[in-house]
Amino acid sequence: MRITCPHCGARDAQEFSYLGAADLARPDGMAASEAAMVDYVYLRDNPRGRHRELWYHGAGCRAWLVVGRDTFTHAVISVEPAKRHAGGAA
Amino acid sequence: MAETATSWLPRGAWAGVAEPGAFGATGEAGIVATLHDGFGLATLIAGPGAAPALSRLVEARLGIALPRTPRIVLGRGHDAIWTGPEQWWLRAAARDGLLPLLDELSAHAAVSDQSHARAALRLSGPRVRDLLAKGVMLDLHPAVFAVGDAAATSIAHVGVQLWRLADGPDGPVFEIMVPRSMAGSFWSWLAASAGAFGCIVADAAK
Repeated sequence: MRITCPHCGARDAQEFSYLGAADLARPDGMAASEAAMVDYVYLRDNPRGRHRELWYHGAGCRAWLVVGRDTFTHAVISVEPAKRHAGGAA
Repeated sequence: MAETATSWLPRGAWAGVAEPGAFGATGEAGIVATLHDGFGLATLIAGPGAAPALSRLVEARLGIALPRTPRIVLGRGHDAIWTGPEQWWLRAAARDGLLPLLDELSAHAAVSDQSHARAALRLSGPRVRDLLAKGVMLDLHPAVFAVGDAAATSIAHVGVQLWRLADGPDGPVFEIMVPRSMAGSFWSWLAASAGAFGCIVADAAK
């Protein structure tokens, strides 16, 4: 699998580390129920198909990226710097 | 008997790792590896929104522009190498005078002197691309990787910066910089990979 880093160009997946889903929303810490926090911290969907993920280009420019990927075909659909997505899980 | 003579001596990054000479196949050498030492080096990471000001200051002081894409910009005495978004290596031909310059640049950037932290070498020779193809995952064909292009990537699990200089008489010329503590691992890869082509090891200072 190759990921086209917006800074470095197309690179082999072994240059990157995978973190997880890009769009997790952290519940408001003080108001959140225990169940909501357990869900946020531990419980993950396992979608078949399109998924937005955080990848770290550790062997290259050391930037965090948001990668749109199809988990069924491994096709990479979109890559953009995570910096553009303020907030969220990043 | 209170003598405390020390045996501490400055030691080049390639000392005990690579020696000038030749190894591998006999006949015309396919690879020339030139070991570099004694250069000054610092990382520049622009502060929030400070990249334009940093770039202007570098240009005013050194006459080189900080590249916005993975490239190396060569100047007289100082080179700027892109390493990430709003991050650069600043390489100086000599270490003298580097610290006051870094002080000045720190107005706009997080600056860290790394002069002793990297081992660098220049690779040339008629088989240099065949050698790099054994370890570099990038397409280094001249049509894709032009003179002045730079990349951060890894060779044999060692993080490297590499860039392409103007062609020499034997074709493409590359420079590679690795963390000093990884120089031995990197050299293991190079020695194993270059032997088939025949390799001359030269010392840039001699």
